[in-house]
Amino acid sequence: MILKLNHLKVKAAATTQGVIEAVYALVEAGLIDQGQFARLQVELDWIQYKSNFREAVAATQGYNAFGHSLGQTAPIMDVHVDTRQVVPETLRSDLLRAIHRAQAGAEADGCRLPLEEFQSLRSSIVWTFNRFFWRHLLAWEAATGQGYDKALPGGSSDGHNPLAIADDVAEFLDLLCALQAKNQLPPEVNLLEIGVGNGSRCAQWIDQFQKLDQERGTGLYSRLCFYMGDYSQDTLNKARLTVAKHIDQCRFVQVDAINPIKSLAQLRHKILQVHLTNVYDNLPDEEVVRRDGKLYFVQVRAYVPTAAVNSIGGKYGIPPELFRDRVYHMLETGFDSFGGAAHGVPFWQELWAAMRMEERLVQLEDLPEFPFPEGLDAGRLEDILQDAPTDFRFHLSSGALESFIRTLPLLHPSGYMQVFDIFVTDMAQYRTGFFGPGKLDGSLLNWVNGALLKEVAQREGYNVNFRPFKYRANTHTTILYTTRRE
Amino acid sequence: MTLPILPTAIVGSYAMPGWLERLKTDYFARRISRHDLDEIYDAAVKAAIKDQETAGLDVITDGELRRDNMVDYFAERLPGVQIDRTSKKFYYDFYDSAVVTKLPMASMGLVQDFTFLNTFTDRVPKFCVTGPHCLTKRIRNQFYPSEEAFATDIARVMNMELKALVKAGATFIQIDEPYYSGFPEDLAWGVNVINTLVEGVDARIAVHICYGNRYGKPSWEGSYRYLFPTILKAKVQQLTLEFARRGGEDLDLFKEFQAPFELGLGVIDVKNTDIETPDMVAQHIRKALEVMPAERIHILTDCGCFHLPRDVTFAKMKAMVEGAKIVRKELGK
Repeated sequence: MILKLNHLKVKAAATTQGVIEAVYALVEAGLIDQGQFARLQVELDWIQYKSNFREAVAATQGYNAFGHSLGQTAPIMDVHVDTRQVVPETLRSDLLRAIHRAQAGAEADGCRLPLEEFQSLRSSIVWTFNRFFWRHLLAWEAATGQGYDKALPGGSSDGHNPLAIADDVAEFLDLLCALQAKNQLPPEVNLLEIGVGNGSRCAQWIDQFQKLDQERGTGLYSRLCFYMGDYSQDTLNKARLTVAKHIDQCRFVQVDAINPIKSLAQLRHKILQVHLTNVYDNLPDEEVVRRDGKLYFVQVRAYVPTAAVNSIGGKYGIPPELFRDRVYHMLETGFDSFGGAAHGVPFWQELWAAMRMEERLVQLEDLPEFPFPEGLDAGRLEDILQDAPTDFRFHLSSGALESFIRTLPLLHPSGYMQVFDIFVTDMAQYRTGFFGPGKLDGSLLNWVNGALLKEVAQREGYNVNFRPFKYRANTHTTILYTTRRE
Repeated sequence: MTLPILPTAIVGSYAMPGWLERLKTDYFARRISRHDLDEIYDAAVKAAIKDQETAGLDVITDGELRRDNMVDYFAERLPGVQIDRTSKKFYYDFYDSAVVTKLPMASMGLVQDFTFLNTFTDRVPKFCVTGPHCLTKRIRNQFYPSEEAFATDIARVMNMELKALVKAGATFIQIDEPYYSGFPEDLAWGVNVINTLVEGVDARIAVHICYGNRYGKPSWEGSYRYLFPTILKAKVQQLTLEFARRGGEDLDLFKEFQAPFELGLGVIDVKNTDIETPDMVAQHIRKALEVMPAERIHILTDCGCFHLPRDVTFAKMKAMVEGAKIVRKELGK
């Protein structure tokens, strides 16, 4: 058995002993097969976020592509224990229950109401919830009485940090001057921000640019074309008001963050700076596990514990047999069936808090048609993993990767991308833990596999560098910065 | 061999198949032998030749599929250039290479690859070489007093090689100088170097100047105006320039400066997978005919097709051929 303890906290250390004893007891009682025990991997404190989708104890077993057991006497199994949630007295029974569930496969037991079949995390209903959150953000904020950014660690977006903006503007103006000196500055200085929120970063940025442009006498303000991109027209309308005094310098474009070039094709090779803050960590993702030299794709199934179905359903007058239909109905049509947001939003919030995900591992070799995100294929992934740890779990960051690959062609030869986000910057970091997904208000939060983005970008002609975000102490934000690769 | 009016060709490289990229990298990882790689190259080049012929091109290249990139193939062959063979992770990376002594006069062995091309096509073969200016930008100079001196000596060595190519049957040679656009201040000595390179070489010589195509992306932007009038001193027959991606505004420069060259007219954008229609190609050609007679125009891709998928490249070549046919018909040729 392999035991992984990711964080040496007092409680974790104490629980470790309990976990070992409980596992041994289960082996001695014949409840865990000897062969399986030899390959068992137990991971403690494996997830960063206290608010997440996992039970205190969860077991994950390997399957073939059809959801059938691998046909070995001892298919691989991982057990995850969250020492922050686990109760020592119930550890043995929790472990036993988790293992039995994993062995039972896709068969749901009476304790859970599945909201979907096992599938890729990317296509899971949790992302429908995520989109629902952004579509009904105002209703959520009205119910909680605070803006969504207050839920961010630090209480505000690092993208709005005035010192970071000042440094960025100065650096950008230096670039423009260098191009001008070589007679290579285009007539229009195009910039793009994807995911503009209320537009306050753009407004701060252009304010600062105008100020510095005047101070230096460079006269470039009038040449600025700041493309503000967001998938929501409502958001763009709100942002328009925020940048009102720079309106001649701004363009407003509905942009799908996963495929920016689709709506911006006319700007191919013309944008000098692309900026994103905390967009990638909120894009659909997939996860892959490397165990015993083989790759497994993580499939998930979202569910609501039956106890929560009963309590929430009782409160809102929804019988258990109709619960799932009402969830889907809400996601499709909003809160009308609840008589409006006043009742609908509390239901949504309680449902979101109760939602969990179970998972299973499916051998990647059995998935020849595995839909790798653009920029990646099995051969390339194999190359990338050559120097990576042999036994670990990592994000494929499919949404982030596709967004990134489909944004790079917009860059002017001297242009660059700048992404503020939470990045795993080296595959080796996954040795020390797995980060996310977590729940953040009604949305998902997931770390982004920056190491993978870096490798893929190299093949696209860009070097990726990571800089720590030096403007706020204890932040997890890192700045991804591209430079052209020769 | 006589070419038709408005002859068609690709600038140099053909689509690099994903499987060949992988095999090249496998070679660097010592997973396949040099002998096997050479056999693979032969097969890939034959396929590229066949694709060009099937698409209907009049001038054929070997697709440059044996080359990792436009520099290393020459850096490895230039006598006196030292290569750090551990410096490359992916085949397309540039070697860390340096010149530490005066380049001796010695063969670069290009004739073998030309002969292979010439053996497997009945059409006019075009052999492409990377120009000295470009090579000096990627090979570290640790010996010569200036880039110009280094480039001139490369030209001296390569001049002998070009003459050997002509002796082996080459009638059409293209010199690629994409770095002019990034370093326009070098142009005056760059043209002198070109003249050293082609002195006494009895073939149609084209110089291809673009805005870069590394990783299928432009390296610079701007106007070809920087070329004029200096480029008029180049003792070559053809200037091959990109117009499809950048638009045809700079065509007027040929009129303005009465350029004596043939025009290699880029009508296919190689930095975009969208496939041009024959009508779009014909439009480009008609615009060029406003500044240059058809007898002095060759119809080309903007640059090499290295980064395009093979099916896209083939479709683009077909569109180019059909577009040229439309205009030939309009001209009654």
